[in-house]
This record gives sequence, C-alpha cells and structure tokens, in this order.
Amino acid sequence: MDFLKRFAKRLGFTLLTILAMSILIFFLVEIMPGDVAQTVLGQSATEESVAALRDRMGLDDPLHQRYLRWAGGFIRGDLGESLYMRGVQINTIFWRKVGHSVVLAFTALLFYVPLSILFGVFAGVKEGKAPDAIISFIGLATMALPEFVSGIILITVFAVGLEILPIASIIPIGENLWQNLDILVLPALSITFVMFGYVSRMQRSSMVSVMKADYIRAAILKGMPRKYVIFRHALKNALLPTITIIGMNMGWLFGGLIVVETLFGFPGLGSLTMSAIKTRDIPLIEACVLFITFIFVFATFITDMLYAFLNPRIRYKRGDV
Amino acid sequence: MNTYLLQLKRSPRAIAGLTILLLWIIAALIGPSLLPYTYTGMDMNNQMVGPGEAGHLLGTDALGRDVFSRIIYGSRSILTIALLTSLLSSIAGIIIGFTAGYFGGIVDTIFLRIMDILMAIPPLVLAMVVLGILGNSTIVGLTIIVSITYTPATARVARGALLTCKSSEYVDAARIRGESHLYIMFVEILPNTIGPVIVEITARFAYSIMMIASLGFLGVGLQPPTPDWGMMVIENKSLIRAAPWTVLYPSLAIASLVIAISLFSDFVSKVMINED
Repeated sequence: MDFLKRFAKRLGFTLLTILAMSILIFFLVEIMPGDVAQTVLGQSATEESVAALRDRMGLDDPLHQRYLRWAGGFIRGDLGESLYMRGVQINTIFWRKVGHSVVLAFTALLFYVPLSILFGVFAGVKEGKAPDAIISFIGLATMALPEFVSGIILITVFAVGLEILPIASIIPIGENLWQNLDILVLPALSITFVMFGYVSRMQRSSMVSVMKADYIRAAILKGMPRKYVIFRHALKNALLPTITIIGMNMGWLFGGLIVVETLFGFPGLGSLTMSAIKTRDIPLIEACVLFITFIFVFATFITDMLYAFLNPRIRYKRGDV
Repeated sequence: MNTYLLQLKRSPRAIAGLTILLLWIIAALIGPSLLPYTYTGMDMNNQMVGPGEAGHLLGTDALGRDVFSRIIYGSRSILTIALLTSLLSSIAGIIIGFTAGYFGGIVDTIFLRIMDILMAIPPLVLAMVVLGILGNSTIVGLTIIVSITYTPATARVARGALLTCKSSEYVDAARIRGESHLYIMFVEILPNTIGPVIVEITARFAYSIMMIASLGFLGVGLQPPTPDWGMMVIENKSLIRAAPWTVLYPSLAIASLVIAISLFSDFVSKVMINED
C-alpha cells in the first residue's frame, strides 16, 4: 500500500517534471536569436517568400499555440520535420540513433558495473591498506577526467599505438551496428573510465560501513568463511547505495555520451544533438534535449522505485513515504 | 589553521595536488610573458614539427602554432572561468538555499520542487544548448551560463548545511535578541557552515574545469583563435596519427589540472568532515 502510494506520488512528480522541462526547452529554443524562416531560406530570400514560409510553418501564431502544437505532436509520437535537412521527418532518423546510443550505454554498463563493484568491494575490505589506496587513487584520477581526455588516451594507446581498435566509430554504408561491434569498445571504455571512480567509491564506502556492523562481526566470529561473509552477508546490504548511484548516473551517462560520441564520431543521440545545435535545427534540438531529459527523469524514477522495493525498511514502513 | 597544515603535511596526495595546481596558477600568471611565441604566431617553415624540434618544446600544429605556448595561454581562460564559476555558483547557491531552508514551509517546498525540476537536465546538456544557441561565447557568458547550471546543486548543499545549524541554541538566542533574518542567516549561521561550503567550492572548481574543457571540446566554448584546451583537442583530432602531440598534450594539460584539483578537494572534504 505504502509502496503504491510512493509509486503514484513519484510518477506524478516525474510527469510534472517532464511537462515543466518541455515548456522550458521549448521557450529556451524559441527565444533563440534570428528568424527561423530567414535561416531556412538563406540571406538572399525575398521578404515575401520569408513571410510565406513563416505563415506556412505557423511561426506567426502566439507562443502558447505553437507550444501546444509541438507538445501535442510529441505525445502522438510526431517529432516534426527537420529544418536543416528539408523535408526529412525527424522520426525517420531519430530512433535509429537512439538505438545506437542505448547499445553503447549498455555496453559501457556491462564494462563498468561489475568492474567497479568488484574493485569497490576489494578496496572496502582492505580498508586503509595498500590495495585500498591504489584503487581509490585510480578511481579519483579517472573520475576527474572529462570523457574526451580519457578517450584521447585510449585512442592513443589502442588505436594509434597498438592498432587493434578503430580510431573512429563509423558504420560503413549498408552495414549496421551489429556487424561493427568493435566500434563500441573504445567509446564504452571512455565512459567506464569516468564511471568507475563514482561507482567503486560508493561501493567501497558502503562496504566499509557494512563490514563494521555487528552481524558481520558475529558471522566472522562464529567462524564462517570470510569469502562467504563478504559476498553473502555484507555485499547484499552494501549493494543498495551502489544501485542508487548507478541508476542516478544513467541520465548523466546520456549527457556524457554527447562528448564521447563527438570524439569518436559515433552515430548516436549525442552526436545528433551536437549536429542539431551546430546547424541550428530547432525541431531536432528540441527532440534530442527533451528525449535526454526524459531518460534522465525516468532513470531517476525507476532507481527510486527499485531502491524502495529492495530496501525492506522502506517497503514495509508505514506512514512516512 | 595550524592543524590544517599539519594534516596537509601528512597527506602526500594533497601536497602533490596542491603543488600541481599552484604550478598551473603560476604558469597562467607569468607564463605568457616569458614565452618566445604568441598563441596565434604561425611558424610557416615549421608546421607539425615534433616536440623539441626547431625550438618548439611540444611541437607545432598544422598552422605552425607552438603547442606549448597555446597550452600556457589556454590555462589563463580555463582557470579564470572555473574559479569564477565555482565562486559565483556557490554564492548564488548559498543565497537561494539559505533563504529556502531558513524560512521553511511553503517557500522551501516550492524551492525543492523547482530545484528537482531544474536538476532533471544534465548541466552539460543545458549549458551546451544555451551556449550553442547564443553563439560566440565569451569568458563572461561562459561563466554566467555554467554558474546557472550548477546553482541547483550548490543550493541544495547550502540548504542542507543550514538545516544542520538551524535549530541550534545560538540561532534561538539571536532570534530572541531580535536580530534580523539576514543577520541570523549570514552572520550567525554562515560561519558555522563554512566547512561544507569550502568543500563545495573546491569540488565545484574541479567540476567546472571538466565542464569548461568539455564545452570547449564540443565547440561551444571560447571561439578561435583564443587558445582553449578542449578546443585544441577537437581541432587537431584528425591529426592524431600524423601529429599526436597536438592532441595529446592539451589532453594531458586538462588531465593534470583536474586530477590535481580533485586530489586537493578530496583532502579538503576529509579534513572538513572530520572536523565537524
């Protein structure tokens, strides 16, 4: 019951956030300097043709009408027409790129989640000793690097030096991502570099505090194998904050994808957003940014629910939700 | 103060971080006046020469510009913007977060909801879109936009810090004395939250460097020919095989600066949290 109440409350707030963000994004982009119709037709266009295009695009309608038309289209799944690529429906290019980014994000997840949890647990168990100091230092250093810096270092080593991985993530015409899985490795590793620090740090500190709990002491003192205590008793409880931090960073990861995809030329949502901004393609910017926000907000929502579900203290708690 | 120095002495990581940071600050302050080249000076006879050749310490780029000089010049803008950003966003965060936490009730609820909504968009994405739309970023523009995108986060930290002190007896005493709200917030409470505030400012400093470098890399930061570390990386990315130094050294400059600041800010947060 309480769980359902929490669910409904959070879902309501999530939808409200998306509504507010859509308004913010729309107005932010709409107040952009320069006349859209003029931009489309170029500087040499006559006044009449600009006026005609403005009329056709409905640019002279009041702002709230244009917002409702845009948001309505979004809800129906119509992302509108690209300005830069005249006559191209955004839907026809958008979802393929989103798919690529999702594959990239999950590849990165596959790399950094087990890696950071393992090293985090190891550092936490060896608190204050040499392995802890080394792992924490590496985490702190890689976490601080912007994605493109770790990417450049990876390119230098694996693409230029060892020549075992491609320098850029380009899918040849006529092929798809699944035939070119090697292009995922370096971008995913660049993300792993950054995320490793956050996640292993969180895992370490929760492991340290759990290892000090009485029930762990009891388990060790009654002679249970240390490995069993660490992985069965301690990790179970120490994973909860880690799951939260991984979930909370999902949306952040999609922000980071913009940088990584730009560096590698990876054909995903991030590089699409970047090129939309460069070409001032308003409907495409709006679609990309709203979608990134959408992922961010829903990742937070799902994490929150998962946390509540996994934590019996919240699941069974009465009243305060 | 002496206890801080003592703790600093015992932390080799913090000393290393602080030393590198100070070296960069010195380089930014006096470096450009000692350099033989300017950041736009093109050595037409020595394009893309390797490090150490023809009098170019770190080589030259495709236009024959000295990479070392550009890195030293570039340290000025990134340090200036990052420092201003961390200060500005912290000040704005303190004012907003303190007001919300202090008055509580409906003001606080509205504040929290607005901050939640604003935090629903990643700061980098927000800054990128706004800067991309406005075009032609300047130091002032970059500072303001990045500060705004960071303010929701700093405001939440400030609010949290205020809440831990709000119900203290000295606050009650000040209230009974009839002090004004402003006096209580900034003269009574602020000095007692200085620990978390300093931690926040140093951490923000590292984040700002990352953000500004990333924005430069995405091409929405400072405009050419101003040397910007992030921009140098993307400008020369296609040369990574032919002239790797043009890409690698600016990257390493960013890496050394952010890692140094993180090491130091990690130390600051440990010291400040232990102290509380």
